[in-house]
Amino acid sequence: MTAEGAGGGPLPVGVGRWVRAILHVDMDAFFAAVEVLDDPSLAGKPVIVGGSGARGVVASCTYEARAFGVRSAMPSVRARQLCPHAVFIDGHYSRYVEVSGRLHDVLRSVTPLVEPIGLDEAFLDVTGSQRLLGDPVRIAGRIRARVSEELALDCSVGIGRSKLVAKLASRAAKPVALPGGRRPGPGVVTVPPDEEAAFLRPLPVEALWGVGPATARRLHAVGVRTVADLAGLPEGALVRRLGRAQGEHLRALARGQDPDPVVPDRPAKSIGHEETFREDLTDLAVLHRHVDRMAESVAIHLRGQGLTGRTVSVKVKRPDFTLVTRSHSLPFGVDGGQAVAAVAGALLDALDVSPGVRLLGVSVAGLQPAAAGRQLTFDLAPPETAEHVQGSWEGVLAAVDAVRARFGRTAVGAGGVDVPARRDAPWGPSAGDAAASTGDPPA
Amino acid sequence: MKFRSERDALAEVLTTAGRAAGGRGTSSVVLSGLLLRSEGNDLEVTGTDLDLTIRVRQEVIGLDGGACVVPARLTADVVRSLEPGAVTIEGGEDKVEISSARARFGLRAFSVVEFPTVAAPQEPMVSLPAGMFAEGLRQVVRAASTDDARPLLTGVLLTGGGGSVRLVATDSYRLALRDLEGTSSFGAENDILVPARALGELQRLPVTVDGERDVIGMAAGPHDITFTRGPVRITTRLLDGTYPDYRQLIPEHYPNRLHVGKENLVSALRRVRLLVRDNTTPVRLSMRAGGVDLTVVSQEVGDASETVDGDFSGEDLVIAFNPSYLIDGVEAVLDDEVMIETADPSRPATVRAAERDDFRYLLMPVRVA
Repeated sequence: MTAEGAGGGPLPVGVGRWVRAILHVDMDAFFAAVEVLDDPSLAGKPVIVGGSGARGVVASCTYEARAFGVRSAMPSVRARQLCPHAVFIDGHYSRYVEVSGRLHDVLRSVTPLVEPIGLDEAFLDVTGSQRLLGDPVRIAGRIRARVSEELALDCSVGIGRSKLVAKLASRAAKPVALPGGRRPGPGVVTVPPDEEAAFLRPLPVEALWGVGPATARRLHAVGVRTVADLAGLPEGALVRRLGRAQGEHLRALARGQDPDPVVPDRPAKSIGHEETFREDLTDLAVLHRHVDRMAESVAIHLRGQGLTGRTVSVKVKRPDFTLVTRSHSLPFGVDGGQAVAAVAGALLDALDVSPGVRLLGVSVAGLQPAAAGRQLTFDLAPPETAEHVQGSWEGVLAAVDAVRARFGRTAVGAGGVDVPARRDAPWGPSAGDAAASTGDPPA
Repeated sequence: MKFRSERDALAEVLTTAGRAAGGRGTSSVVLSGLLLRSEGNDLEVTGTDLDLTIRVRQEVIGLDGGACVVPARLTADVVRSLEPGAVTIEGGEDKVEISSARARFGLRAFSVVEFPTVAAPQEPMVSLPAGMFAEGLRQVVRAASTDDARPLLTGVLLTGGGGSVRLVATDSYRLALRDLEGTSSFGAENDILVPARALGELQRLPVTVDGERDVIGMAAGPHDITFTRGPVRITTRLLDGTYPDYRQLIPEHYPNRLHVGKENLVSALRRVRLLVRDNTTPVRLSMRAGGVDLTVVSQEVGDASETVDGDFSGEDLVIAFNPSYLIDGVEAVLDDEVMIETADPSRPATVRAAERDDFRYLLMPVRVA
């Protein structure tokens, strides 16, 4: 708590109190940076963390690797083509969890209003911290200094009056990959309310939350490419194009209006994985494959944190943005992909997907430490129940985990499960029920 | 209908029959009532929720024959609360009057016509010594499942396998098995699956006659079974389905055996269990020559350990169990010395008496990291 500055230079002080001040703190190339920290011989080299198998994906990579065009969530095969001399590492998840815990300790010393997004990002509402700790710029500088001092890692911080602006600002604060290395970024980017419009307007519409490839295509078709284009569109035209819910939502975002509050993370209540699809899905078989894949991902996360969960939920967002959730509680905790998938699949079957599915999520709540032990069962249960799957698949689960650890997450799917190596498939799920975004954002 | 009875005797029959009466969630309000029928000096009290029916006979001073249906819980509460002594009950069409020396209650009654008639199989198929049967039930019923999602496992299997009646129950975590030696078999084809709830009621019936006359009669129909013990008759629907093949679960041979005193083990287990705050925290048993060390480590609470002396033969091993399940099994053993047989930390152990072979309690371990 002594260092006041980061990266040298006096901090601008006295910008004045903000009515609402949100910080987005994002670690730089987190998994890869931890690997370099633990093995200094990797410093300055292109390092890629992720599945090294035929269908593995890049979870994180150093800026030296990014200079060759490698990006998070890229198939490892492609990454190898781009950067054949890169050091591939399968990753040490428990170590990332440990470092992440220390990061969040630092953040929570600033304010209890910390909303973690995955292991390496968090939103902080520092509105109330200004009286004690100074203006948001000073707080951001202090966080960067402590992370650098205590974790020996770098992070970037964005400041805005909403989560959206803060997140976009932190992206602008990031280092830039250049051939032969990296150019340090500004580290902290502040977007005061009166500069918001100027900051947002030149950004592509894809920068806004909720604008996926499908929506972007619809907007491009009417000549809307930037946030400025979007903000200039008459409301009626936007609503006609995208429907009322999404139209109004985007229009507000384009004006920097994002009322979404920072929700502090109580001890993780659930572990979930959700994705918005490029196209609305209606094919139940395809949806089942996604559920199976997400269940696997959630299960890996559970086991990584030594947890089991009793309540499995499936969440579906329809094209009209209505949200439906179905849950089922088991008499015992599960941490196996097959067990989660067995329940989640049954829940999916219970939902009407005929209007189409825009977003699908699988989550597990009712978390308990798995280390306490798992009650084994006699082999009596009919084969389709989760209890049976959990009981007799233990060996399989351990084996699948071991194979994944060696060859990458998508190397082995459960029988009959086609695990697609999709470019937009995150490497892992997010903690909490928030949108899935783990690993480094695609720069 | 009018009769007089002593308070305690009346309270007891109302309570016993009332256990079968439906609670608030019953489909029909009349099922939350008890049918009282008196004829001469006989009173018959019946409660039913259509799955389970309990009928109790009691001798009273009959004043006027007839029937009425009274609210089960309220009537029992009222009778119990009266001063000791004689209680008079007079039932009419839609009202029942309960009076003692000074108190008087007028309760609304239900329709006698709407009270269901549940047919009970009559032909006694087999008679069992009540003491032994109740003892077997006490040992076995505890292992049945209480999870309605697995209906078959909420039953106790009555099977006539090895020349005597055998009771089997499992909730998939533990399995209890008792052979009622010396009882007549009722044929291997007559596997009967009786809801544990009905047997629980049978097990708690008071002893009213002593010695050889105290028998439990069983009469089974295709869908129901009736048990009679003294003045009480319990009829229940049978569970329908094929019980899992429990025989394949019983290991033929165990390499490790621990002999310990039953009371020592149960009281030590009860002590270390004090730290268990959820049903996932196991007790670890380190078995070695000279006895067993019990350990409970509860993340939020703390830890406890205790050594119980005993004899152990085999390879030293550490095995963990749900402490409550283990206590259930050890308590059920009818001997001062308990034998725990084990193979390895992930296969079922057996708890049984050292000198008797008629009761076995198989228990799946808890796998610990």
